[in-house]
Amino acid sequence: MKCEEFEAIGLERSGLRMSELDVALRQSAAEHASRCASCAALQESWQEARIALQALRETTRDVETPQRVEMRLLHEFGMRHRTRKVRSAAIFAAWALATAALVFAGVSWWNWKLTQTHGNVSAGNVVKLNTSVPSVNPSSAEVDTSEEPTLIADNDAVDFTLLPGSLPQETDDSTIVRVGMERGALSALGLQVNEERVSDWIQVDLLVGQDGLPKAVRLLQ
Amino acid sequence: MSIPEQDRDDVLLRRAAKGDQESFTLLYRRHQAALYRFALRMTGNSWAAEEVVQDVFMTLMREPKKYDASRGPVGAYLFGIARNRVMKHLERLPRELSLEESNGNGARANESAVNRFTPVHWAEQQERSERVRAAVLDLPAEFREAVVLCELEELSYEEAAQLSGCPIGTIRSRLHRGRALLLAKLEILRDAPRRVSAAR
Repeated sequence: MKCEEFEAIGLERSGLRMSELDVALRQSAAEHASRCASCAALQESWQEARIALQALRETTRDVETPQRVEMRLLHEFGMRHRTRKVRSAAIFAAWALATAALVFAGVSWWNWKLTQTHGNVSAGNVVKLNTSVPSVNPSSAEVDTSEEPTLIADNDAVDFTLLPGSLPQETDDSTIVRVGMERGALSALGLQVNEERVSDWIQVDLLVGQDGLPKAVRLLQ
Repeated sequence: MSIPEQDRDDVLLRRAAKGDQESFTLLYRRHQAALYRFALRMTGNSWAAEEVVQDVFMTLMREPKKYDASRGPVGAYLFGIARNRVMKHLERLPRELSLEESNGNGARANESAVNRFTPVHWAEQQERSERVRAAVLDLPAEFREAVVLCELEELSYEEAAQLSGCPIGTIRSRLHRGRALLLAKLEILRDAPRRVSAAR
């Protein structure tokens, strides 16, 4: 065996453990070491290194991570998952609030819409329904029917002109609804209208009673 | 003997990801020592090793879904993270020799081995250990890793190759080279003539 082979064997075969070599190879290596002083020294240093590595292995065999690391990690773990739960709850609450707000807004809008529709329909109905109402307006009946100021004349402190068939006490809990209409439509409410200006577009306030029928009318200036 | 289903690492990890602290603790206790030992032997610094272990489990805590069971066991995954952290540490920081520092529990790392010896033996062993320790820590990182895994952790070539993520042949050659360098360094430390051809 040559010195290079001796080194190679020593390093390759689990290197520092010459005792692990097979018998023939070990005998050959031992013979070489007995003849070669430098290889003997090398073998000796391998042995020393083996022992030293073993000692190093032993000294660090039972080491464990300090307890504080576990505590820090568990604290972080708790924080992380607690935070996640809180965040989930917050998100859920936010969604619930948003949904509630949306529902509330929807219901409000629906109510408003209903009110609007009801008001318009009432106004429309008044015009239609009252077409058959006999035009007996106590206040306007006395006024000259050929003159347009018939309606304007009643726009005084009371402002509203009772429609034919309406009683003053019926207007107590009424609602004022502003509508746009042709002047000629006033005749459907039982009022006298100047025929020359029936197609004029006017705005009037209707006093709508609780039954949804107009009780009085006010012409806007 | 097989590990019960509910105690398997991947099951524990799944439960920990859902916020089960007990599972996380069990997982930590099962792997912390091996990871710490490896990091300590690689860095030679107990603070760095502590940081590495903490980083590994923080990563696991933050991104448990990064673990892919098809690529290997949880232990190997954790070891892979630890290895990356150790390599980053070695690249980033100057090497410190502080294995002699007391560890986190207040006990000296080598105390257990010390008590068996007489003062003379103890002194000799301390000197020898210190010499080897310095030599190991002086090795380039990849050779040091091979020496730590195969000589100190006593893993087989296959296991070491799997953990290092390189072929067995690479581990074998790194170990060969690492041993040669180690011997050369030990010779240097003892003021003896350099002998190992591989170290030249």
